[in-house]
Amino acid sequence: MRTKTNPLYYILFIAFFAILLPAGYLSGFLSVNTISVWGRYFCFAIAALGIDLIWGYTGILSMCQAFFFCLGSYGIAMHLLLKKTVAAGAVLPDFMAWNKIETLPFFWQPFHSFGWSLVLCLLIPALFAFVVGFVLFRSRIKGVYMAIITQALTLAMWLIFLRNETNLGGTNGLTDFNTILGYNLSSSSVKLGLYMISFAVLCAAYFACYYITHSKFGKVLQAIRDSESRISYAAYKVVDYKLAVFVVAALLAAVGGMLYLPQTGIITPGRMDVKASVEMVMWVALGGRGNLKGAVLGALLVNFLYSICTSLFPDSWLFILGFLFVITVLYFDKGFMGLVESIRQRLANTRFKTPQTTL
Amino acid sequence: MKISLSFQQVGSGTNGKQTGIPPARELLQNRYTHAAKAMAGLLLLCTLLLLQQVAAAQDSATIYTTQVLSPSHDSVRTQAIGRLAALRIPATFPLLMAINDKKLYLLDHKAVTIDAKPTGEGTYRLYTLYPDNKLLTNSSGQPLLLPLSALQTVDIPRGDRLQLADIAPLLNLFSNDAQKRILAYSQLKNTGDTATLRILQAALAKESNADALRTGKDVLYAARLYSAGNATNAKAYIDSIGDNWSDNAPVLLRNYAKNNAFDKEVASYAAAKAVSLEKRYDQLQRVQNFFSGLSLGSILILIALGLSIVYGLAGIINMAHGEFLMIGAYTTYCTQLLFTNVLGIPQTDLFFLAALPISFVVAGAMGLVLERLVIRHLYAKPLESLLATWGVSLILIQTARLLFGDLTAVKTPQLLSGGWQVSPHLTLPYNRIFIIVLTLLMVLFTYLMLYRSRLGLQIRAVTQNRQMSACLGIETRRVAAITFFIGSGLAGLAGCAITLIGNVVPDMGQTYIVDSFLVVVTGGVGKLAGTIFSGLGIGFFTKISESFFQAVYGKVFILVFIMLFMQYKPKGLFPDKGRIAED
Repeated sequence: MRTKTNPLYYILFIAFFAILLPAGYLSGFLSVNTISVWGRYFCFAIAALGIDLIWGYTGILSMCQAFFFCLGSYGIAMHLLLKKTVAAGAVLPDFMAWNKIETLPFFWQPFHSFGWSLVLCLLIPALFAFVVGFVLFRSRIKGVYMAIITQALTLAMWLIFLRNETNLGGTNGLTDFNTILGYNLSSSSVKLGLYMISFAVLCAAYFACYYITHSKFGKVLQAIRDSESRISYAAYKVVDYKLAVFVVAALLAAVGGMLYLPQTGIITPGRMDVKASVEMVMWVALGGRGNLKGAVLGALLVNFLYSICTSLFPDSWLFILGFLFVITVLYFDKGFMGLVESIRQRLANTRFKTPQTTL
Repeated sequence: MKISLSFQQVGSGTNGKQTGIPPARELLQNRYTHAAKAMAGLLLLCTLLLLQQVAAAQDSATIYTTQVLSPSHDSVRTQAIGRLAALRIPATFPLLMAINDKKLYLLDHKAVTIDAKPTGEGTYRLYTLYPDNKLLTNSSGQPLLLPLSALQTVDIPRGDRLQLADIAPLLNLFSNDAQKRILAYSQLKNTGDTATLRILQAALAKESNADALRTGKDVLYAARLYSAGNATNAKAYIDSIGDNWSDNAPVLLRNYAKNNAFDKEVASYAAAKAVSLEKRYDQLQRVQNFFSGLSLGSILILIALGLSIVYGLAGIINMAHGEFLMIGAYTTYCTQLLFTNVLGIPQTDLFFLAALPISFVVAGAMGLVLERLVIRHLYAKPLESLLATWGVSLILIQTARLLFGDLTAVKTPQLLSGGWQVSPHLTLPYNRIFIIVLTLLMVLFTYLMLYRSRLGLQIRAVTQNRQMSACLGIETRRVAAITFFIGSGLAGLAGCAITLIGNVVPDMGQTYIVDSFLVVVTGGVGKLAGTIFSGLGIGFFTKISESFFQAVYGKVFILVFIMLFMQYKPKGLFPDKGRIAED
């Protein structure tokens, strides 16, 4: 990191989301929905951390993070749906019965158990990322080619998830869950709990990424970003490093997805279409890539802006987003954090600013 | 219903000769000769009587027809129509049809009827009704066109028309409209009634439309097949059904083999025929797939050409390229509106001809604007340009949605509707042929531009080494701008072409953009030949894998294939020779 971060900002950030917002809810100022919405943003921020690792630090533009995010969500969704089905005394979830399927498909079986679900939610994206990454990195596909191929991959997976034969709910996705581990999902205390868990995981993920980027491993990643040929001439196995960070990023996206599902109560293939995957990258670009704080702030801000804009002027959200894309790329190469940085340098004398939470 | 004496005798006559039915190929000959031959062995006298009766029926038809057209009294007309309905003489059916449809007119005291739809000028083509049913022509042999005002309408009261209700399905066999006739034929399926078949035969004898003829023959042969008296005849009919080869034929033969076959041998014969028909159908289907692969590939090439050149030249990944396609399509739509609503040129194909260059120029101009505002700041920064142009594409899509709404369609020019019918089950649509030809022309144009012009030389030079070209006095920015114009224009042209085969929707570009990027990646950046090969390859592959798997899995399959392909050729099909250090 170029500048020493003042620990005060971390404390302010944590205090705001871990104490102020829950306190606001408990004292009745905020509705439980606001809490839940912010909980979802945290999940996006977790995925954004992964994107920052792979794109901001390693320079690989991966457009299939949205797909990994959905893999995590779908895994938890399958578990919740099975629990609900069993509780209702049925064998098959409703949508399968409508599709005239007689037995539970084999890949649904392990999701009866919560433990297995957690394991598979992490294992499947990791394995997928490993295989795809291995094939792509081995043939030295990088830069734009990598972006296009991963994008096409996301598109293909999106098309597969849209189908009814894959037994994943088709266009409608998976929805209508009631309990998780016996707790009622619609109760507000469970929502608050999930919010707190998401925030805790976000903080943990942030510090893990902070550790990674400041370790020797992280330095190699940045070296790969800056000059891949030179680091490979220096006898570093570039493929292994790339593969490792790709898997880590996929895992982070999956974790985000796993936490996201119980808070929204629905997952559809729409979360992983081309648009969604580019948008995820854009959170990081807007927040400031190569900067973990930027990734978190970008995800939180864009999504916050999204919920404000879509309720105030729904038609113009795409305009706003589009202009944000263009202007960020053209003028704020370092994103929001870079902007803050340059402002701070200009106003070097005035120190009392709280840039994190205001825009 | 009244049934006249003469009709009953003709009916019994035909029933009597059931065993002597000739093979279907000759069936359309005069049935009276056959009837007479069959009867000859039994009773010569009876035959003579029969022929007399037929002649009498024709005479009475003439009398009744005259009575319908110029009745001495209303009740006479009512009675005449009733008689005609009961007689069921095929020659009178066009007249009855005209009565039933309320389209009976007099022209010079002759009964005529009109087409279902008027021509552009509000005139109609005319057909005589009795004794023969023909298109009226003027002295130079062209169809005679007259407005309704030149005709004298004959009003037949509803009560009279109701007498035709029983034979209404049969009347449609004599309609002027081929679609109606096809429907009427197919409604006669499973009929075993000899009298109906007689009329069907008469209708087929004067059938002019190939599709209608096929449907009608199918029904006729099927009926004959089911009543065939011996194995030889049955096989002959099975052959006829096979030669006729309607859509329904395999199902029909299979049902026959399963339920009503004459004996085991005939059943297996029918089943084998059905299988061979289906096999031939599959082969034609493959040709059809090949053809649609070709046209899909053409569209991909049109889009990817621009993308590939621009990426090679300026290092720009233009995610908004698909939106130039959309702009081209909307330009075509606007040209259509301009021509029909503002300039008031109705029903012509002119607008499409005009739309081709206009959509090229408009999309190209938008490309120039985009280049000036956004792209020129991002040269040689592909990833940044990818994100920025994605933002641009969001803006363009939303603008189109606000301006035009969600769904609009361009009318296909009449010249390009329909298709080239190679065989009954293989039609190559003209619009797809047009797209292929257009692509050929554009590829040729691009080739000439790139390899035979000064601009092309400059473009290739800048693609190879930007700084060096600049040193040698090439205005690299101007070259890039012109290239961007041409690339966007080609996408606009593709959009114009796509209006022929699909709707115009704001996010239409998105459906093609990922595919065309795959074309660029597989073909190699900035390579004309690579783009063409990989465009065609991906087009074919998509369509062919669609016929094996479902469309979706075909797409996944292609992707896996490309990923494996890139293991061998990471720089595309035609990589640059030589060693270039990367950083």
